[in-house]
Amino acid sequence: MASIKNLLQLCKGTQYFLQFSNNQKCLLSLAAVRQSSYLSSPPVAPREEYPEVEIVQNAPEWKYVERLMPQKIIPKPIEKPEYPSGWKPQTAASLPDLKYFVARTKNHMVPVYLHTTFRGQRRITVIRRIQGDIWELERELRVVVEKARNGKLCASRVNEMSGQIHFHGDYVDVIREYLKEKGF
Amino acid sequence: MLNLLNKSKSILIPALRNTTVRSTHDAVKEATPLVEVAAPTPPLILPQNWSQYEPVNRSLARQVWIENIDAIPERKLGLIELHPDVFATQPRVDVIQENVEWQRKYRYVSFAHTKTRAEVRGGGRKPWPQKGMGRARHGSIRSPLFRGGGVAHGPRSPTTHFYMLPFFKRVMGLTATLSVKLAQDDLHIIDSVDVPTRDPEFFKELIKERNWGPSVLIVDKDDIFPENICYATDALGYVNLMPSYGLNIYSMLKHDTLVLTVNAVKHIEERLLYQMNRTDATAKGGKFKLDQV
Repeated sequence: MASIKNLLQLCKGTQYFLQFSNNQKCLLSLAAVRQSSYLSSPPVAPREEYPEVEIVQNAPEWKYVERLMPQKIIPKPIEKPEYPSGWKPQTAASLPDLKYFVARTKNHMVPVYLHTTFRGQRRITVIRRIQGDIWELERELRVVVEKARNGKLCASRVNEMSGQIHFHGDYVDVIREYLKEKGF
Repeated sequence: MLNLLNKSKSILIPALRNTTVRSTHDAVKEATPLVEVAAPTPPLILPQNWSQYEPVNRSLARQVWIENIDAIPERKLGLIELHPDVFATQPRVDVIQENVEWQRKYRYVSFAHTKTRAEVRGGGRKPWPQKGMGRARHGSIRSPLFRGGGVAHGPRSPTTHFYMLPFFKRVMGLTATLSVKLAQDDLHIIDSVDVPTRDPEFFKELIKERNWGPSVLIVDKDDIFPENICYATDALGYVNLMPSYGLNIYSMLKHDTLVLTVNAVKHIEERLLYQMNRTDATAKGGKFKLDQV
């Protein structure tokens, strides 16, 4: 069984060697080894037959590998005085008297979203993760949105149990900027 | 009389609690007490510093007493800090309801069954000719139009009602329920699950003394509990033991009081906080694949 396998490997190896010139032979031999299949690759031999390798525990170069590997937990954002994207960290958490609180998402973003339905004809701005006096926040946001609509009334929906406010129309940027200014 | 006075004075002074001068009679009486006064141990203060999962506001962390379970009267053994994102979140009642509904329905199989017109006995022949009778035209006496005929769109046994609630709704349900339990004074934390006797009366009296709800759910990290508590709770249907991996919203709401050990609290916190802060959340919350990793 093993001899047949070796023969097969030899045949497959010689195929490449016979067909091409010397330079290409070397490259292709490497390529052939890299793209080898299970049956064509040689079986694993005992460690003594392979060249000596120094095993290093906790190598200092490992940190260059680690920083390329994906992180399991969302890291804390790097502290800077200003961010070019306009992102601001949350500061309202430390304020003492708050009537309401809008928590950030797990990726440290402000929880304001746009829901589009009916092939883009219905656009609803959703603010999630609201705790505390949601009605007070709705009154304040209504002022902001009506100002953006040049005084026209806006339709809103408050869901106290799930802590959400919906506004008819696309006022995501307006509301997000307002919440960032308040420190949420 | 004097002896009694001496004894009470010495017990009041903590340092002298174990050094009372007793007569032989008192020594015999106290040779086999129901509950022994434990040696004074330092209080078990456990402030948590969550290095990876820093809370937004440290002052929102809840401090809860660590109580004892080795005696009937309550003794506070120390303090533990609980992460606000697990034990002080918004009580999302809608998410809790969805979780309870899911837990009830996903295992349910309905065995209601009706026969279709093909399955009802008879009805193979055309009952009367198509034309000439002055009656409505029919092909079989067992069609759904007929009395005694098959049911058109009736229940077909067995019908599964399996569905999976989105993963992060289940995580939110756990945090919301734990927060609700803590806020409503139905959460107690004990140091360990070692009980002195196998007697179920011990638990009955403990629950009565400490005013815990009629039903109690005791959660520890491991699924192997000490012998004594197993025997004691076996006889009582309303005191149940559970490992921390079995924690679920239905059980937490079914039992009035939830009792967690310190190890269970740390395990639950660590797992829930990881799930709430993982980077591959979108991949995890994707479509449920049955029988796949």
